Amino acid sequence: MSEMQTHPVLALDGVTLQAGTGNKTIELLRDISFTVERGRTLGLVGESGAGKSMIGRLISGLLPPSFQVAAGRLLFDGADLTGQSAAARRALLGRRIAFVPQEPLSALNPVLSIGRQFAEHLARLGVPDRQRQDRAAEWLAAVHLPEPRAMLRRYPHELSGGQCQRVLIAMAFSSEPSLIVADEPTTALDVITQARIMQLLKEQQALHGAAVVLITHDLHLAAQVCDEVGVMYAGDMVERGPASAVLRAPFHPYTRSLRNSVPALDGPRRILPALPDQMPGVMALAGLGGCRFAPRCPSRDTACAGALPPWHEVGPAHRVRCADACLGADFPPAADVPDGLIRLPSEAPAVLELCDVSLHYAGRRGLFGRPAATIAAVHEVSLTVGPGEFVGLVGESGSGKSSVARLVMGLERPTSGRLLLEGHDPLTADQPLLRALREHVQIVFQDPQSALNPRRNVFSLVTQALEVSGHRVDRPERRRQARRLIEETGLPADCLPRVPSQLSGGQKQRVNIARALCVTPRLLVADEIVSGLDVSVQAQILNLLLRLGRELGISLLFISHDLAVVRYLCSRVAVMYRGRIVETGDTEEVFANPRHAYTRSLLEAVPSNRPPVDLAG
Amino acid sequence: MSGWQSALRAGKVQVGLGLLIILLLVALLAPVLAPHDPREQDILNTLTPPAWDAEGSAEYPMGTDSLGRCILSQVIYGSRTALTVAFAAATGSMLLGCLLALVAGYLGGKTDWLVTRMVDLWMSFPPVVLSLLLMVGLGTGVRNVVLAIVLVDWTRFCRVVRSDVIVTRRRDYVTAARLLGFSHLRTIIREILPAAAPLMITMFSLEMGIAVIVEATLSFVGLSVGADVPAWGVMIADGRGYVHQAPWAMIAPMIAIFAAILAFNLLGDGLRSALDPRLRTSRI
Repeated sequence: MSEMQTHPVLALDGVTLQAGTGNKTIELLRDISFTVERGRTLGLVGESGAGKSMIGRLISGLLPPSFQVAAGRLLFDGADLTGQSAAARRALLGRRIAFVPQEPLSALNPVLSIGRQFAEHLARLGVPDRQRQDRAAEWLAAVHLPEPRAMLRRYPHELSGGQCQRVLIAMAFSSEPSLIVADEPTTALDVITQARIMQLLKEQQALHGAAVVLITHDLHLAAQVCDEVGVMYAGDMVERGPASAVLRAPFHPYTRSLRNSVPALDGPRRILPALPDQMPGVMALAGLGGCRFAPRCPSRDTACAGALPPWHEVGPAHRVRCADACLGADFPPAADVPDGLIRLPSEAPAVLELCDVSLHYAGRRGLFGRPAATIAAVHEVSLTVGPGEFVGLVGESGSGKSSVARLVMGLERPTSGRLLLEGHDPLTADQPLLRALREHVQIVFQDPQSALNPRRNVFSLVTQALEVSGHRVDRPERRRQARRLIEETGLPADCLPRVPSQLSGGQKQRVNIARALCVTPRLLVADEIVSGLDVSVQAQILNLLLRLGRELGISLLFISHDLAVVRYLCSRVAVMYRGRIVETGDTEEVFANPRHAYTRSLLEAVPSNRPPVDLAG
Repeated sequence: MSGWQSALRAGKVQVGLGLLIILLLVALLAPVLAPHDPREQDILNTLTPPAWDAEGSAEYPMGTDSLGRCILSQVIYGSRTALTVAFAAATGSMLLGCLLALVAGYLGGKTDWLVTRMVDLWMSFPPVVLSLLLMVGLGTGVRNVVLAIVLVDWTRFCRVVRSDVIVTRRRDYVTAARLLGFSHLRTIIREILPAAAPLMITMFSLEMGIAVIVEATLSFVGLSVGADVPAWGVMIADGRGYVHQAPWAMIAPMIAIFAAILAFNLLGDGLRSALDPRLRTSRI
């Protein structure tokens, strides 16, 4: 027993992971070293593609055959995992090393009941048949699921995302593991559920003394939940140390820019400094020797691109991988957002006005097709957007935000209430007026993947509006328009002949926005447009929206679940809950002094607001 | 690399396309390639063995059938019938099936319901029986064979393409096009049709193979093209009677049918793998 306690539960020592593609080998992970002790939580923080999940898969041994560990050791409780046979490693999984995956609904088998799956897991752990159902029910009660016995008979699709995640956490802890690897366990969940799930995780960890590796892209979450944090960038670990030190006073330029790129929910409002470009993809890694962050680093010098920078100790257990010259460099503090950046409501007539608008869907149908119950997706919602105003609409999934967007766009008709565009009712307007009104309202969709036709190139996409009969122009004019739109949205000039699959996520979103701008709308409806983007790319898009508002005077109805982003962008905010607007007003006022209980619970659930780590400084 | 370029590099597509081109050339150059007129009967030389046999002659490379007609010439001219039927029937089924699929998938609601029920009903008839009935009703001839195949096989196109259309219809970019003011017709042509095109082309290719089989089946029972048109199925039906004396009368058209269907299937299969983004394996 004492022998085991001298080893850290997990220790990576100079691990380098290579993948071979033909003649080239790419180093997907370079010289990764960290340790995790019993009862401690390590956070692996980074943007998508940084290699965090790769470490999780390395630990589990679930890598494709062409991947091999070229250097270093991977020690679990003192034993080298890389030297073990596949069977031995498999024996560890689910027993001493447990995983909590990212998408809870798809991690559970949809055709088996919860009880069956849990029993299967317990069977593997050696629990005798008679005891399996009881033990499963006990564990479900331990994770605070209501009516555990009844829950055992239900199927995953009958549970919410949060409940599924609780089941997975119960299964993970039921084997009394020494190590838990949680790969973005709360990304797919809303803020309030996220807070509860993380609380549950910490509670179980404290009870069983397991070590936890938490993989996440959310800095604030890592600051709140983890003891130690390692920051990943393009397969390198660039900074490592105690969570409070790394995230309150980071040294590495990337960590600093990451911290600055995340909008803050309290404290003074600052302009988000956005780094150019994005993290190099896997194929580009081959060409980057030395520090992989160097091309984007604001303080790089010639030595950076040469060789992998060494580790420097900058504090107790706090190490940074950076060139000598950059350490201790004084970064200028981010400037405060000047008041003129966000438009305040003006006296001119509203661009959009919703008066007690409701949208009811027919629910279950009775025997003869008559609706038995109606679902109120939107219930008596009133909202105005003035010219040049940015208004945020926040709420969790299912609150009716997207239904409001669909109403505004004319994709749905309100069941009751009035919807006015620039003072006119589209339902009673005649054709030419209706066409003009509809043109003045444009939507930017959330998922750039499905919002752009994969067979059209960028030129054809941004000027798509010019293919309609009322706007037909000749080719040179269309080219001119395309170039104007590209420039306005900050896309490189050479992207016109490219197709969406050749663009990055941020670029796709810009094309999305450019398409909406083609016919110079007065109101943009943005439905969760930055949710799937990396933090630094998100900052770029937010700054773009601010610039467009300033230069073109467009209004914006910004729908999001991310309160900090809404605070950065919008002068007014409306909070939705279950189809109703529960609170509305000036953004700063609502977030500083929330009056409705739901708004308060939302604000409390956002990680940055809770102790112990305060990132406002 | 675009889908089409990677498609052309795929092995299956190249082999299939190559075979198809050979078939096309044979059909087009039939008067040049065939040693005799396929309908010319030589009573003195019935059931002669092929040229490589001791008793055969170079005049009839594959021998003759019971009426003294050159087997090789019949096979070569038969390719014309086969390819005509294949292309025409595939085109017809594709046009009819895809038109209904686009309309049903795009409009949804009652139209979709109606078309789906129609397809369900139509598909409940056993296809072979249905085509036989149609041929009895319509009479023989190449045009009627094509019509019979189109009337049976359009349902296959309709069902498959409809689900593709429905999936595409739900995508945000179709909604975006409508919101930009695109009419229904323009949306279908510019946004939905290009998305369904790869599937349609794959099915077209596979349908050609099916058409060849159906034509052969129909001519086997004598309900296909007229008596004086050379067709592979007819050759097999005739050759059955004297398979021990002149086996090549039956083997030659069988090889030809096999080669044609192999070409169409390889092409169709290769196109499907190359053009379906889900089946494309990712690197690393």
